Amino acid sequence: MNLEAVWLAIILGAPLVAALVLFLLRGRAARAAGWIAGAAAAFPLVGALALLPALHRGEVPALSLRWIPAAGIRLMLHVDWLTLPFLITEAGVTLLAIVYAWGDHRQDERTPSFYGLLMLFAVGMTGTTLADDMFLFYVFWELMLVASSVLILVWGDGERRGAVALKYFILTHLGSLMVLVGLVVLYDASGTDSFSALRAGVALPPAMATMVAALFLIGFCVKMAVFPLHLWLPDAHTVAPMPVTIMLAAAMLGMGTYGILRFPLGIFARAQMEAFAVPMMVAGVVSEIYGALMALAEKDVKRIIAYSSVSQMGYILFGLGTLTADGIAGATLHVIYHAIVKALLFMGAGLVVRSTGRRLITELGGLGKAMPLAAICTAVGALAITGMPPFCIFDSEWMIFAGGFHTAHIGLSALTLFGSLLTVAYALWFIGRVFFGPRPEGLTVTRPHWAMVAPTVLLAVLALVEGIFPATVFDWVFHELPLILGGRW
Amino acid sequence: MIGNVWVALPLACLGCGAFAVYLAARLLPARLEGSRNRWLAACTAMVFGAALATIVPLSAATRAAYHAGRALPTWGRSEAGGAFLQADPGALVIVAAALGLGGLVAIYSGHYISLDRRYETYYPLLLLLVVGLVGMVLAADLFSLYMFCELMSVAAYVLVAFRRRTQTAIEAGFKYLVMGSVGTIILLMGISFVYRERGQIAWQVAGGAAWAEKGPWTRAGLACFLVGLGVKSALVPMHTWLPDAHGRAPSSVSAMLSGVVIQAAFYTLLKAGLGLGWPARDLGTLLVGLSMLNMTLGNGLALVQVYTKRLLAYSSLAQMGYMMFSVGIGLHYGLASSIQAAFFLLVAHAAMKGLAFLCKGVCHFYCDTTTIAQLRGMARRLPLVAVAFVVALGGLAGIPPLAGFAGKWFVLTGALSTPDALAYVGLAVFLINSLLALGYYLPLVVTLFSLPPLARRGVAEGGRLRMSPWMAVPLVILGGLILAIGLYPGPWLDLTADAGSYLLALGGER
Repeated sequence: MNLEAVWLAIILGAPLVAALVLFLLRGRAARAAGWIAGAAAAFPLVGALALLPALHRGEVPALSLRWIPAAGIRLMLHVDWLTLPFLITEAGVTLLAIVYAWGDHRQDERTPSFYGLLMLFAVGMTGTTLADDMFLFYVFWELMLVASSVLILVWGDGERRGAVALKYFILTHLGSLMVLVGLVVLYDASGTDSFSALRAGVALPPAMATMVAALFLIGFCVKMAVFPLHLWLPDAHTVAPMPVTIMLAAAMLGMGTYGILRFPLGIFARAQMEAFAVPMMVAGVVSEIYGALMALAEKDVKRIIAYSSVSQMGYILFGLGTLTADGIAGATLHVIYHAIVKALLFMGAGLVVRSTGRRLITELGGLGKAMPLAAICTAVGALAITGMPPFCIFDSEWMIFAGGFHTAHIGLSALTLFGSLLTVAYALWFIGRVFFGPRPEGLTVTRPHWAMVAPTVLLAVLALVEGIFPATVFDWVFHELPLILGGRW
Repeated sequence: MIGNVWVALPLACLGCGAFAVYLAARLLPARLEGSRNRWLAACTAMVFGAALATIVPLSAATRAAYHAGRALPTWGRSEAGGAFLQADPGALVIVAAALGLGGLVAIYSGHYISLDRRYETYYPLLLLLVVGLVGMVLAADLFSLYMFCELMSVAAYVLVAFRRRTQTAIEAGFKYLVMGSVGTIILLMGISFVYRERGQIAWQVAGGAAWAEKGPWTRAGLACFLVGLGVKSALVPMHTWLPDAHGRAPSSVSAMLSGVVIQAAFYTLLKAGLGLGWPARDLGTLLVGLSMLNMTLGNGLALVQVYTKRLLAYSSLAQMGYMMFSVGIGLHYGLASSIQAAFFLLVAHAAMKGLAFLCKGVCHFYCDTTTIAQLRGMARRLPLVAVAFVVALGGLAGIPPLAGFAGKWFVLTGALSTPDALAYVGLAVFLINSLLALGYYLPLVVTLFSLPPLARRGVAEGGRLRMSPWMAVPLVILGGLILAIGLYPGPWLDLTADAGSYLLALGGER
């Protein structure tokens, strides 16, 4: 076992061990739970960065163990360039969400279970990106769902949390089943379940290949919450406790993108995917506009930001649908930058909700003076999400639009571009109603916990820095392109 | 030479054990009155354990013989020259599952039955139920098959109506008795038809002619087998006794009935049908067709249940459907791996459904809950039970990394590798059903973890309850097993490795 394999084991193992320790200690670890989780969440991020040199040397760090010999299934983990952006995003979001939870979560005897489940949720996402075989991929894919549903079910806000958790689980599981069928077809066709074998090509009849690609696309779009498969998202994001919402919106939605990149785009040839290009682009535009309109119509701050996710996922799907190098790189970049900005927005909204105890924008207003730091950070988030330079989302949207104009569908691309005007509308409306204007009667503001403010500020700075110096991240993302569509552009 | 004595040992062990436990229950000195139940439970569990231990060399011998192409181990000699019992790879899987689950149920009963008393009836009957089951799947001729099937059924009727002061239990037991008896009578009729035409009852020797060459009596006999054993294995539309019986029996008994008994009857049906020359392809088509009914009806009716145990009973129907589907696909297309997947699912299901019923039993024992709504807030009162319940339900719903998911994966792999319409239609029904099933498993989980309603909070929130270790240990073992099977399915897959090819060979010999 070489050093890289050890790092792989640590990336996956540290949060898993932390989760087990937290579950075993239960009430006894109520005070230390947050720290244990935070420490464990740092490992994946450090590990991912530690693996970078090996990736730059052109190696693929991998770990392979015997698992189910009878069915030809091995337990395989790996990090390649396609994995890396998602792994780093997920690890970073988890770490910040946990730091945020130190301030946001009210400590009681169930606290260790809360952090334990957050860890499991993170393990699910890390495992999904690291898995190098389909069985393992699906196991982690569902772990992600199970852990997050339990978090919503037990710690969600309001009486409806049971119903919301149920809806979230069932709708998302519907997508998972489609993915499962696709996986099993590939497993049967290739005879092994390792991704590396799949990369060598799968002999499927054309009709079958089209069906499998469609199943994958629909299944992963459920996770991405693209219209009309987004029905689980607004409720789940609104009801979930804030750290979970951050992980859901900033990290888990990206897993859908990862799935699309890994399976349909990574396995099938360009000719097979061409039939899906326009439908993906159209679905992307529709989702973008629909999400933005719904965000304009909502009053609950969390719902506004939740619908903004539907809209942003539309950009990503559009970028993937262009099937151009720029579009796909832009979509991946958008996953990373959207994670930064969406986490920032939710954290800012969380500061407002926690400090004032209100969450409807009709009852909020004039908070700019009372909480200037939160106002500045949220404003950075809101401006960034509109795609305004010099914030990071501008870079990724640039790439996505560039990809769009590279195709023959200039009209669609122009529509996407103008659709982003709606984003400006809801983002400014949101900022205006919360931080400007007259302050309603009886609106009192308490001082938020430092652990909630620190990650917010960090993300705001990151959004700006990444916008100005995106070269490193661009470099990571462009390395993935040879792995997709058989490397033909 | 009477044959390999190891084949008869599990039966002897259980049979003598039943007698010994009965005597012990009668003769235990009065000063042990307080701990009588625990003594008897421990004895019964030891009998199960001993029987399980005898299975180990037997399955090694069977495996060796099967792989070497030699005759499978048999024991005893009947008039016609055939053997009385015969070990085969598929039967041993079921026997092992039944003995393992039986042992855990016995330990569980060490506290669960303590309010019912009448231990001298309960434990011997539990053992006799398994004697019947083991004998039925190991039987090498139709007569002993019938005899053991009847023994198993009679023990089951009495156990269902074990709480004889409850009218509903008596009603359920009576319904089961009537339907089951009709089933066994039809089975007997089928046996007589077969005997009339062939003049012998050893089904393995009885085969040998192609389906087309068989006379009308054997065909009629096989139809009778389908109906008779179909009642026992709850094939829709012969399932109507099951929700009542499994819903009204003591939970420990329901665990056995749902976990292994119906599956054993189904395996007997397969073995007898294929052994008597029912073409594997036709039987496979029929099973795929019937499985859709089982899945859809089971899941559909489970959605509307008010009582937890009836919900679990209907879920058993659906799970039977999954197994039938996989076996059907395997037989129709000649895929050993598909049949193997069904056996894997069988083992997993025995653990999962057993655990679910046992959890339900604990809730009933301590909190007197019968409906799903009454389970609200159980996570506060009995956290271990709630967690175990969630593991069981999650497994049944096929959520990774639990055992049910591995089963689902293998079933899917089998079905997807077949290139035609039957498999695809079945597959679509299977997938729709596995989504439908979430509609009742998840609300149950949600109920366990939600707070009790405000009005009743004073009643329901009586604080955390201490659970007897006799009940906790089986829950923990089964929960661990479900996780272990799901995370590391390799050894369990090996356990069922020969079962698939054995059944295929049985159907393909002619």
